[in-house]
Amino acid sequence: MPEWHRHLPVPDTGPPQHPVIRFESVSTTYPGQSRPALSDVSVDVEKGEFVFLVGASGSGKSTFLRLVLREARPNQGRVYVAGKEINRLASWKVPALRRKIGTVFQDFRLLPNKTVSENVAFALQVIGKPRSHINKVVPETLEMVGLEGKGDRMPDELSGGEQQRVAIARAFVNRPQILIADEPTGNLDPNTSVGIMKLLDRINRTGTTVLMATHDAGIVDQMRKRVIELDDGRVVRDQSRGVYGFQN
Amino acid sequence: MQLRYVFSETGTGLRRNVSMTVALVVTIFVSLTLVGMGLLLNAQAQKAEQYWGSKLQITVFLCNQNSRTPHCTSGEVTEPQKAAIKQVLDTHPEVASYQFQTKDQAFATWKRVYISKDKSEQEIYSTVTPADMQESYWVKLKDPNQYRGVESALSGMDGVTAVRDLREVLKPIYFWMTVLKWGAIAIAAFLLVAAILQVGNTIRLAAFARRKEIGIMRLVGASNLYISLPFLMETLVAALIGVGLAAGTLAVFMYVVIYGRLRPGSHIVEWVDWHDALLSVGGIALLGVLLTLIPTLVMTRKYLRV
Repeated sequence: MPEWHRHLPVPDTGPPQHPVIRFESVSTTYPGQSRPALSDVSVDVEKGEFVFLVGASGSGKSTFLRLVLREARPNQGRVYVAGKEINRLASWKVPALRRKIGTVFQDFRLLPNKTVSENVAFALQVIGKPRSHINKVVPETLEMVGLEGKGDRMPDELSGGEQQRVAIARAFVNRPQILIADEPTGNLDPNTSVGIMKLLDRINRTGTTVLMATHDAGIVDQMRKRVIELDDGRVVRDQSRGVYGFQN
Repeated sequence: MQLRYVFSETGTGLRRNVSMTVALVVTIFVSLTLVGMGLLLNAQAQKAEQYWGSKLQITVFLCNQNSRTPHCTSGEVTEPQKAAIKQVLDTHPEVASYQFQTKDQAFATWKRVYISKDKSEQEIYSTVTPADMQESYWVKLKDPNQYRGVESALSGMDGVTAVRDLREVLKPIYFWMTVLKWGAIAIAAFLLVAAILQVGNTIRLAAFARRKEIGIMRLVGASNLYISLPFLMETLVAALIGVGLAAGTLAVFMYVVIYGRLRPGSHIVEWVDWHDALLSVGGIALLGVLLTLIPTLVMTRKYLRV
């Protein structure tokens, strides 16, 4: 190395930043289907981004989410989630990956025989967190989602919006890197949906990457976040501050 | 790992699935009892062979001090007489092999068969010593149908008190023992197949009843072991209850039939004892646990997609 090189200031960029989700030319076809569910999809999602995944039913949104969760595997291309290539991930390591991902569904998927607190605590119990930790973070998370004082209620005593907040609390209680929301407002009225979106936005501001599949044009237009549109398994649009319908 | 959840889920599963669990317990219980009986019969057949000789054996008893038969005129068999008998056994073309049984060995067997807990019997038999026993050769024949040559060669020799050939008597006994043993094992095999299928059904029902929990557990990253553990515990509990009932039945059989009736009343053979019963209980315990754990592991992989 020349002598003068040693005196040059080296910019400190910190550790190299990798996208938290990366799809590299991903194609996948379900067994028995002739048409691919995803076709040559390449997408990077950086840490802390809020991304809407839009498109008609059957466009490949769910397959996209299933690949991130490693519920499905690509036939071609590579999918990286939290730095791991999911196709190379041994099946016994899948639980560790899923602990870095929280998931929320349209139908809430709460356990009807458990209270609100128990539903949230369940996510920590089954991954072996100590009870002292659970007793501390469950009330904190319930407060954060706006359900303080409702921990002892049963799910069927709550409104739809409140039930979705419980589901979000359960998904977020382990502080995942990524939160996946599959049509989280699909069963809710517009006013309630706004409340849920505000909550997801707050979670996003804590540094959690949020990936949300939706049909709700109003919400997408209002939030002005990154929009990835899928059509027939292909990415037809990737806009950094997009709206639901196509805009040039 | 929080085992409290696993135990409470196991309890809930067993209660929710109670009819299925009972069916599984009963099947395991009956099949393992039959397997246990088969093992005991096997042990009994081995003991009988040791005592009577196998289907191919004849026994040559030598004179002792009390013998009064024509070829025992000199009382206790002498060393030259023994050497002559041994010479015949070594050279006879029909003899495949033979074993010598000493007086002490004979006395040990006699004690095991005849001495019971009964006090008066013990007093009567206390006067018997190893010197009252007979030495013997246990001779295995090359062809069991050609025994007469050996028998006539030996029975006329000095120092031989008797040549025992129990083969005709033993044949049907050994035959029925074998039939019973394999019959028990064959029926048990069918029942064990039923037990394995029931394990599969139990897991399927339990997985269906718990599908919501399982779905959430998978999503939040619960380990495969944690998800399958309540299922494993459920079938293991059923297996252990089944093994316990089968072991209890075998113990009752040993106590009532073997120790209560056959051992005190029938000295025709050495009967199976608690040691044999313990071995067969160990065998069925191992079988019961393996036969439920292995299908459970296979089924949980299939139905839980873990």
